[in-house]
Amino acid sequence: MKSDVDLTLAALADPTRRGMIDLLRKKPRRAGELAEAFEVTPSAMSRHLRLLRTRGLIEEERHEDDARVRVFRLRRQPFDQLKTWLERVESLWTDQLSSFKAHAEKRSR
Amino acid sequence: MSQTDSIKVTMRVEVDPETAFEVFTREIDAWWRRGPRFRFGESGDGHLRFEPGVGGRLLEEQEDGQLYEIGRVRVWEPGERLVFSFRARAFTDGEETEVEVVFEAEDAATRVTLVHRGWDSLPKDHPARHGLEGPAFTSMIGLWWADLLRSLRAKA
Repeated sequence: MKSDVDLTLAALADPTRRGMIDLLRKKPRRAGELAEAFEVTPSAMSRHLRLLRTRGLIEEERHEDDARVRVFRLRRQPFDQLKTWLERVESLWTDQLSSFKAHAEKRSR
Repeated sequence: MSQTDSIKVTMRVEVDPETAFEVFTREIDAWWRRGPRFRFGESGDGHLRFEPGVGGRLLEEQEDGQLYEIGRVRVWEPGERLVFSFRARAFTDGEETEVEVVFEAEDAATRVTLVHRGWDSLPKDHPARHGLEGPAFTSMIGLWWADLLRSLRAKA
């Protein structure tokens, strides 16, 4: 059973898609801009966009100044989930190392 | 420090590096926390052990003798460095991560730095892997993660 975090990680396991996320972190972009930035064909770009969208990492919206233009933007939620998960892993290891420290120091006394 | 991976925990331990390495490996069952959150079998009370040396397994043995292989040793440098693969229950089958533990002398004590990396590991035949062998791939992901994580934390 794949969790949401698994799906997010799988979606990010591609250099082009990670690059896209990096660009979108700065501001929303059009598909054409993204295709140009990564020198991929429009059809390859639309496959990447579709995957990121079905995994919920990005969403499509109308440009705020020009409703005819559609842009892609990052969705916050999957990244928040990822962050929560990473923090959980970190706190797990902090617990482990604290326990290791206590044991090692008690033993050598 | 050249380690730029996403999960990194460091702690000062008041023993010398040789002792720290020894305790970390040979006495893992004594210090690795118990319970289902930390251990791998259902009971949360299996017995953990490292088989010493490169290629050795990190095992959890249940009371009925059943063995679960958590990972394998990749680097075994007593008093300095330990690297092992790590297959937590939470990961999907076949997905493997890596744990690196560095032991550095700090006065009469040891600075222990643990890095857990590579949980976005891919199936071996995944196209994204082409042209990038294991370590290069892992460190590239690591750098990217570190950056992403910093930005996420800055935002929080």
